Formats: sequence, structure tokens, C-alpha cells
Amino acid sequence: MLITCPYCGPRDVIEFTYQGDGNRERPQPASQDLDAWNAYVYDRLNPAGDHNEIWQHSGGCRAHLRVVRNTLTHDILSTAFARGGHKAEGRS
Amino acid sequence: MAEQHLPEHQSPLEPEYHPGSHGNFEHGVDVILSETRPGSILQLAAWPGEEKRLIEIVGKVTGLALPDGAGGGVSSGVRAVFGFAPGKFTVADEAEGLAASFAGAITPAIGTLTDLSHGRTAIRIAGPKAEWVMAKFFAIDFALPAFPLGAGRSTNHHDVFAQIQRTGADQFDIYVFRSFARSFWKALCHASEEVGYEVQ
Amino acid sequence: MSPRRTETGGLIDRLRTIRFTFDGAPYTGHAGDTLASALLANGVTLFGRSFKYHRPRGLLAAGVEEPNALVTVLRGEVREPNIPATMVEIYDGLVAVSQNRTPSLAWDISAVNQLGGKILSAGFYYKTFMGPVIGPLKGTRFWMFCEHFIRRSAGLGKAGTAPDPARYERMNAFCDVLVVGSGPAGLMAAKAAADQGARVILADLEAHFGGFANWSGETIDGMPAADWAQRTVGQLEGNDNVRLLPRTTVWGYYDGNTLAALERVTDHKEVAAKGEPRQRYWAIRAGTVVLATGSFERPLVFPGNDRPGVMLAHAAERYAVEYGVLPGQRVALFTNNDSAYRSAVALKKAGAAIIAVVDVRGEVSNEMRRLASDAEAELLAGHAVVATEGGKALTGLKVQRFDAMSGALSGDERSIHADSLLMSGGWSPTIHLASQAGAKAEWNPARQAFLPPKPTQRWIGAGAFTGSFSTAEAIAEGRAAGLQAAGGAASSAPLPVVEAAPGDPDPAPVFEIKAKGKSFVDFQHDVTAEDVRLAHREGFVSVEHLKRYTTLGMATDQGKNSNVPGLAIMAEALGKPIPEVGTTRFRPPYTAVSIGSLAAERFGDLKPERLTPMHDWHLANGARMYSAGLWYRPMIYGLAGETVEQAYVREARATRESAGIVDVSTLGKIAVQGPDAAELLDRVYTNMFSTLAVGKARYGLMLREDGLAFDDGTTWRLGEQEFLMTTTTANAGKVMQHLEYFLDVIWPELKVTVTSVTDEWAGAAIGGPNARAILASCVTGTPVDNATLPFMGIVRGRIAGVPVMICRLSFSGEMAFEVYSGAGYGTRVWEALIEAGKPFGLVTYGLEALGTMRIEKGHVTGAEIDGRTTARDLHLDWMLSKKKPFIGSAMMDREGLIGSDRLELVGVIALDNRALNGGGHIVEELDEANPHDSLGHITACCYSPALGKYIALALVKGGKARHGTRAFVSDPLRNRFGPIEIVSNHFYDPDGSRMHG
Repeated sequence: MLITCPYCGPRDVIEFTYQGDGNRERPQPASQDLDAWNAYVYDRLNPAGDHNEIWQHSGGCRAHLRVVRNTLTHDILSTAFARGGHKAEGRS
Repeated sequence: MAEQHLPEHQSPLEPEYHPGSHGNFEHGVDVILSETRPGSILQLAAWPGEEKRLIEIVGKVTGLALPDGAGGGVSSGVRAVFGFAPGKFTVADEAEGLAASFAGAITPAIGTLTDLSHGRTAIRIAGPKAEWVMAKFFAIDFALPAFPLGAGRSTNHHDVFAQIQRTGADQFDIYVFRSFARSFWKALCHASEEVGYEVQ
Repeated sequence: MSPRRTETGGLIDRLRTIRFTFDGAPYTGHAGDTLASALLANGVTLFGRSFKYHRPRGLLAAGVEEPNALVTVLRGEVREPNIPATMVEIYDGLVAVSQNRTPSLAWDISAVNQLGGKILSAGFYYKTFMGPVIGPLKGTRFWMFCEHFIRRSAGLGKAGTAPDPARYERMNAFCDVLVVGSGPAGLMAAKAAADQGARVILADLEAHFGGFANWSGETIDGMPAADWAQRTVGQLEGNDNVRLLPRTTVWGYYDGNTLAALERVTDHKEVAAKGEPRQRYWAIRAGTVVLATGSFERPLVFPGNDRPGVMLAHAAERYAVEYGVLPGQRVALFTNNDSAYRSAVALKKAGAAIIAVVDVRGEVSNEMRRLASDAEAELLAGHAVVATEGGKALTGLKVQRFDAMSGALSGDERSIHADSLLMSGGWSPTIHLASQAGAKAEWNPARQAFLPPKPTQRWIGAGAFTGSFSTAEAIAEGRAAGLQAAGGAASSAPLPVVEAAPGDPDPAPVFEIKAKGKSFVDFQHDVTAEDVRLAHREGFVSVEHLKRYTTLGMATDQGKNSNVPGLAIMAEALGKPIPEVGTTRFRPPYTAVSIGSLAAERFGDLKPERLTPMHDWHLANGARMYSAGLWYRPMIYGLAGETVEQAYVREARATRESAGIVDVSTLGKIAVQGPDAAELLDRVYTNMFSTLAVGKARYGLMLREDGLAFDDGTTWRLGEQEFLMTTTTANAGKVMQHLEYFLDVIWPELKVTVTSVTDEWAGAAIGGPNARAILASCVTGTPVDNATLPFMGIVRGRIAGVPVMICRLSFSGEMAFEVYSGAGYGTRVWEALIEAGKPFGLVTYGLEALGTMRIEKGHVTGAEIDGRTTARDLHLDWMLSKKKPFIGSAMMDREGLIGSDRLELVGVIALDNRALNGGGHIVEELDEANPHDSLGHITACCYSPALGKYIALALVKGGKARHGTRAFVSDPLRNRFGPIEIVSNHFYDPDGSRMHG
């Protein structure tokens, strides 16, 4: 499987680390809403099809990426920097 | 620290660094391996949107003009700089003390400077079979059109992180973590036996 | 002259004679021979014994699909079993032996298994070895009893036990176009793509490029096809954009057009060159793949079709044309299609007598009749072979009239005397890689074959792979595929002109001749047509179940010959058309792949090691090293005659009495820099860091999002916006990733850079009552007195002329300092400290003494922060700030995490004065025979020189409440039982007076 890092280009999946479901939303830091925290920490969609995921290019530029991956075909539909901001060129 | 002359850094490769020809060299050596031992290795990081200003500072301090594009880089033989991650650059200089030259220039509004002069080991591989040997370690395309002169790449070989800059048509400088350097060096020598190699 | 070698012809080098042995007997062959062709030339017909019945078997094929002639190749002590003799290139000194026979191929005692044929049918093992319900052999015990004997009699080659000294390597390759297969289609594709300027890799599993062209006897562009192939290869060789990989099997097609291939670099050589790997595992990332993998000829299923001398028609043709070897003198052919006629003519040309062509089809075209007469063969149209005769070699066959529509036999049997029977049951495209790449194969009723599916990845098919069996089609498709793959426009330039024998590519839909006797479908696993029907009668209707029950297609050849005939027989039994029965999906690897090639360079001492800057000093000074993850750290610096316990007790005692020094360079170190650095630390640590003064350090604790403890360490504030975070050695990478995740994904607005600087700094921790005096005697540029360097203070100075940072912090519980210097100065600073310590009796200590002193102090490490404990469990709740939220703060107070019965950190003292074991359980009542009711377990233990006792840390239910009570350790695994006392984890100097000085 190849994942196209917006900075490094297409790289082998061995250079990446799966960093979890990209649909999770972290409650505000001070939130005491335990249900919301539970959902964030434990609930996962596990869809058969397109899935929003976070991957880190841990064996490359180390940027975290938002990746849409089809769990049935392993097709990578899109990748983008999780943090936004930096353009692919590494400058504005 | 420029006020006092400092002793040379101890190389992590020392007991495994054997100058001379090795491996299948009877028909000539096809790669040359060396440790380049830059005096300064720095990491520069710009906050998003501040990359251009950082690049200007790099130009002013080092005299090197960074080309456009992710992983862009340039090397003068004495100094080298390349991008290895969004907004992040590695700068190396033969001389020590480059950090001091940057210290005033990279303000908190622009980004950060991290001195890695001890923490990274620079290993050079050069020669007609350099791409061939590199391909044994890294799953990246070393062909010149895909990896142009001066450009940098971040990748890894199993647990060994590596930043690689192409500093010649058939020459690469590999920056690895110091603690892994000896192990990587041994592996590199081993992998070069097939083509014949010389340690300089 | 070898008995079966032709006078002329073939692509072998008749001037070069090569000597080798097979089953101990010496033979000769020529350069270019395979073991199969060379032995055949020497008159060898018997190559192996079959898997279950130990039937004599000869060569069936000439290529990678050979199911019978599996051999073991010996190189010194190293044996590689189960290689098809057809894939072994001979070299001087080759030693090969046959398999699955005792004592010899010709006299195999297990051949009596043939008599028990009915017994060893499908499901034999499942049915027989269920075992009785009661008694000594009940259930699976019967199987376990019998297994030993069965394993010895059934099976393939024996794996070796000697270590394999060969070198294996992995190569990463990138190309625009990967062409798999180098027959006419592959060569045209490679040429067309290369001419477009594309980067091309051409891989073929055979030693020589050309594929079918090497033995087709056809003419291309007015020259023999083999010459045309060599000319084309020559053109490719001259192109810098092309990498040619002969002897390279592309065995896996993975996501993202990533393919795996195995190159056999030196298997055909007498000696490998220095540094040359035996095999290379190629990981190829291809823009587009051209699949030109050709097709396999299928056997026909009829009684006695496995007798040595019965061979696939094309294989015989190939032996004759490519290797100059005749498989027999009196040859009969048995076919359901036209291709066998070409084979007949080729063999006739090579010097064999063609006795008969037996064709199941009643109607045979005039063109084929002409070919049969060219071969001077009797044509028996509408006939079938119903039996073969002979022992270890074929002597004859029997034919009967056959109706292809009904499958009925009629009339009298007629005997034909022949020493070679060549069969052709039609052709199956080699669609394995396409199947691996994704989609399901499609049945083509005309070709009676599964054709490749529509591509789900970026590949283009060409030639026989697509079901286009003629060379002219292969050449046209190859060029079109190559152009398309390289992004070029279709070409209208004239194609190479092919002169070939005529032939209809569609066979008659006949797979089996039902007559009395064993008719083999899967030769390698000894599965007969009757086995398939038996499986059906017993209710195995799914093709996947059929496969597993009968083991059809599950041998090392993975059913390359047997898949389609097996399905056809199953379909007939089910009364369904073949496509409704379906086919199993092919999975990697296409052929057997050596484990060595997969492990590649990650083997032996080439596993990466992480070494601290002082590593060589430790080795030179008597350290016994210990591998901690990838790091190597001194365990003890033992003196002559000392045990490990004596050494660490001495080291710890000397440290507490005077001073000790330990290498702490492995601690994870992360530079945290930027305007928001303090804010980030406040969020990730449970305690405050924004309030920390510059030049001070603080102990910090991190939780996970779920509220459990994650890691601890001290973080030093080096500047307003600059911190040096330390982590445990084991968690350095995890903490780094944790910080990066939050900065990238959760808090991108924070301006913070985190950088691993573990390797930048050499660290030495020096502790003990004399530690400060030692420092004072060697540090320049700063005082180290209590006022300048208070507890958790940081100063900068120099040792041995190089800059150092010194932080006063303690893990040992003594007055202690961590001295950091640039890693390149690590040994220099270390040696200076050792020298300065000499007057004070400074000792070096290792991990064991380090652990001992931390246990005495009750500090936690990864053994206690084990992913299940909370800050409260570890008595670290004083570190949980109430003034701010932090990672884990919302989740840490959940009901389950604050219960009174949680495992809490305690100290344990052995009351029987014997050593305790990590992992030993704590129980209230001792019952050695029936241990139960664990209260918790020991996480770390040692002999404490400070207390003069064997002590341990433990996680125990309701721990604190049990302080001062007695319990027992129960460790049945190591037979360690005994009384203990549960105490506070702070064994030694609980108020910290020693470290605060």
C-alpha cells in the first residue's frame, strides 16, 4: 500500500503509523461531559467503505495526515496535512 | 562557545571505520563511503507562514539559496541545506558554531533552532553504484529525475531514521541518529561488499 | 552421447560439459540445461515418489509448474527442499537428491500404499484419526500417536537444520512500466515502453528471456523466433532505462501497484562472488504493470495419467527444441485441442517417431490432419486413452472410442506401444498476479479457461495471459500494452511478421476420461478424480471446502495444473456449469519464496543496535551489557569471580557509601521549543510547568487520554521558550509521537517545535554522599554548592574543557547530579568524572544497581506504569493539578479507576530471607498445590544492600491499607512460596534527607 504524503510524495505504508479514527472529536479540554469523552476515547465507526483516518508519516517527515481510505479496497482517496497551514512546498 | 577552541567530537563509527578497499573490489570499487563529520548540524523550523522569512535568513547566514519545493535543497561542498519536513530544514556546515550565527536571527516570531551537531552522524556514499546500494536500504526512488541534485528526503530503514541529501549526481549524504550510526554503518559496508567499496 | 540427447539443436552450449550428481550418481549435462533436461537426456525417467501413494513419478512439465519432479538441492550442510527440477540450472558440483522415498527412488517401501488406495482417499485423515471416544487414545490422542509415522511416510522434502550462511537482500525499485514475462508479448511490451523513454523493468522467472519464442519453432521477422527474442533482448540491454531481471519470479501483487519479486542471483552458480546475495527480494513500485505471464497447459485426467513417461505435450516439445532432449523414441499424443499437433511435428522434426495422435474430438480440421500426417502419426480422432502401462517407465497405452459429447467409451480397447505419452488438456492463462491484484477471474466457455478479470489496479494484459494464444496476437497486444503503459499513442507501424503453425485456440470441453483406475487431478497432492467426487458425495459443495477437504491445489505448486480440471470435475458432479462453481482466488506467493529473502538483511547481527556515546568505554571496562529494546546498556561492571548479585550489591552499596556513576544517555530527550512550549507542557503533564523558573527542573507525569498513567520524567527549563523533556528509555518514541499528534491534530494553533535530541546529549548520573565533592573537583566555570545548584537546579559549566549542563536530581535517592554534554564529548566527560572520582572511591554502576536503588526508594518505572495503573495507584496523585485540565484529567476519575480494590503500589519484604521473583503473586493464604486468589503481583525485586533484605515492589489490591500486614508470595512456576510483609514502597530514606542534603 502506498500513501501519498503531501510533503514527501508517495511512500510505502511501512513508513507510516496509523494514529486512529479521524472522525473523533476531542471535547474542550475543560469539558466534564463524560459521555463526550467516552465517545472520543472509545467510540469508533469501523465502516465498510470510505473511512477518515489519521496517519503519521513517522518514518518520513513525521507530519500527521488526514487520510480517506476505503477499508474494502485499500484505495487511498485523499491525503492532507492534519494541521493545515503548511503547503506542500513547505513554504507559503 | 566560539571563545574557546573545543576538542574534536568523537566519532561513533570509530571501531568500525576501516579506511581502504573492501569487499569485491578486485574489479574496482564502485562506491566510496566516508563520514563527513560536519562541525555543525542544525534543525531550523518555521511556524506556518514564516517559511519564506526563514529561507531568507538561511540565505543571509549561509549564503545558500534554497530552491523552491518540498525537499528542496542545495549544497556548496562546505555548507548544505535542505527541507526534510513541512517548514523544517537541516543545515550542515563544515565549521562548528553555526548555531551561534543563527541564534539572533531566528526570532520566536519566525521559528526555532535546534542544535543537533552531536546527535546526528553524516555518512556519505559516492560512486556509480551509490543508487544501487541506497536502494537496498530505503524505499524511495533515487533516480536523478525523482531525486534531484541538492534535494533532501526523510525516510527510514527499519528503526533507523535517515535524512538524505543528494550532494552529487552519484553522491548522497545520509544523516542518521548518532546512536544508530555504527549499526547503520556496518550494514552499509556489508551491503556495499557486492560492488566493492572504499572507506575514505 | 546421452541416450536421449538429439544430435543437434537446442539453446544449450554443447561445448560446455557440466558435472553434477543426482541421488549420489554422477551425471553430465550442458550449459543451459536444467536438472530436469539434463537427467532426461541421461535417460532418467523416475524423478520422485508421490505424496500419499508413493507412486513413481516422472517429469510432467518443463517449467515452474512441475508438480512431480521435486528435488532437494544440497550446498554443504544447507539443504533446500521441494524445488522443481525444471527450475534448477545445473552447475559444476551441483548435488541434488530426490524426495519422499525410503531407501531409494527405485525401491520405495511405502509404495505399498498404492494397494491401500481406497483407504487413503479424500478426508482419510479427518475420518481415521478422530479417535475413539474413550480409552488411552481418545480424541486427538490417536492422531498424535499416529502422526509421527504418517509424517515420515507422507510428504515432501525435509528441511535442513543447519544455519543458512547465505546472504539475502532486499531491493527497492521504481519504474514506469514493469513487464512480467518475456515471451513475445513481454518483449514487445518492454521494447515499446522503453522506446517511449519509460523506465522499464522486465522480469522473467526463467534463466533466459524469450519464453515461448525459445521453443516455438516459429519464425518472426524472417528469423527463428529464439533469435528474434535474443535480438530484442540485446536492444533492451543497450537501453539505460531498462532493468532486465532474469531468474526473477514476480510472486506478489499488492495494493498501490507494489509488487514483490524474488531474484535467484547465485543459485545457478558454483560459487557466489564476494558480497553477492544468494537471492534478492525486489519490492517494485510500478506505474503500470504489463502482465505477459503466458499460460499453462493442462493435463487430461485419465487412468494412469501419472505414470513416468506421461508428460504435457508442450513440455516435451520444449525439451526437444530448447534443450535438445527427446522424452521418448516412440511418442503418442493425447489431446482435446489443436496445440498438440504442433508439438507432434516439433518432436518428429527432433527425431522421435510419432506413433499416434489420440484426439477426443471426432471432428478434426484438415489443417490438423495435415500436421498429423507431417508428423507421420496415425490420427485416432474420437478416441481417448483409458489406461497406461509400465512400471517406472511407460511401455504403452490403451485407447478406446470416445464420444466427446457424452463422455462415453465404446468399442474394444486397443494397445499402443509407446515410451512417451504427451497430453494436452487445453491451456489456462497464468492469471495469478491479476487475481492477487483484486478482481475475480471470468470463465470463457470457448477457451474453456478462466481469463483475467478487468483490472482493479494499473495493469494491462498481453498475449496468452489474455487468452490470445497465437504469437501474432501476443506481439500485437504486447506492443499496444507497452505503448499504453508508457503513455504513448497507439502505433500503426507494421508489426513483426510471424510464421506459425495453424491452430484453433479453443479446446473440446473434455477434462476427464472416466475409466477404471486412478486418474490424477492434483499430481503433487495425489488427489484423484474419484476423491473430488467423494468429497461431493460427502457434501462438500463449495469450491473452498472442496479444496481444503481434498487438499486439491494446496501443494507447493498451488494447483497450477490441477485447478481447472478439478473444478470441471466438481462442476460435473454438481450438475452446474463451471462458472457457477467458481474458482478460488489466487494469493501470494505465486511460487515458494525463501524465508531468508523475506528477512533479507534483517538477520543475524544486522539488527540495528543503539549505542550510547560511552559504549566502547563500558566494554573496555568490564561491563556486562544488557539489551534494553534496541539499546545496549551496562548491566553490571563485574569483578573477577563475582556473581551478578554480588556485583550489583557492591555497586549500590558503594554508591550509597561514597559515590557511583551510571550512563543515562538512553533516557528519551525531547527539545520542546517555541512561544507556546510551556502551554503545551501544562496540557500534557498532570502538573504545572509554566510556573517553572528558567534554570530549574521538575518531575512530571503524563497520562493517556483514558486517564491511565503514561510516562514520567524530569523536564528542564533551559530558557523562557525552551525546555528539555526527558522520558523513560522505553517510552521515548511513544512520548514523541504523543506530542506530535497533539500538536498536529488537536492543537495546531500552538507554536511549538518538538525534536528528538536523545542522541544529542550524553548523560552521566553521579550520586552518593561524595558526588558533589567529585563534581566540585572537576567542574569549571560554575560552583556546584547548594546555593548555586539546589535540588532541581541546573547550571552550565565545563568538564575537561567541554561545555556541560548539570542538573541536581536523583533517582538513586542520594545527593545526585545528571551531567549532560554533547554526545561527541560523552566519553571525554565520563572519563574526567571517573578520574575526579578516584580519590573518593567512585564506582561505575549498571542497570542492576540502578534498579536496586530505585526499588529501595520506591520509584516507579515501566514495570509499574504498565498501561493499567493510574496516578493514584502509584501514589502519584499529589502530581494531579486541580488548577488546569490536562490530557487524561477528564477520564481519570471514572468509577472503575478510583475503586478501593484497585491494585496499588506497595513494598514487599521477604520474611524468609530468600530472593523474590518478578511476576510472583501475592496471596493471603498459601496453597501450593492449588494456588488461587491473587491479591496482586511483584513488579520488581532485588536484594537491598541498604536494608540487608530481599525486597520488591508490587501492585496489590487495596495496597496502602495493607501496610504492615503479612501475606505470602506464590510463584508456582518457579516454585517460590513464602511469607512476606507488605510495607510502604518508600523503603529507604522516606523523607529524602539524603538527596536534599
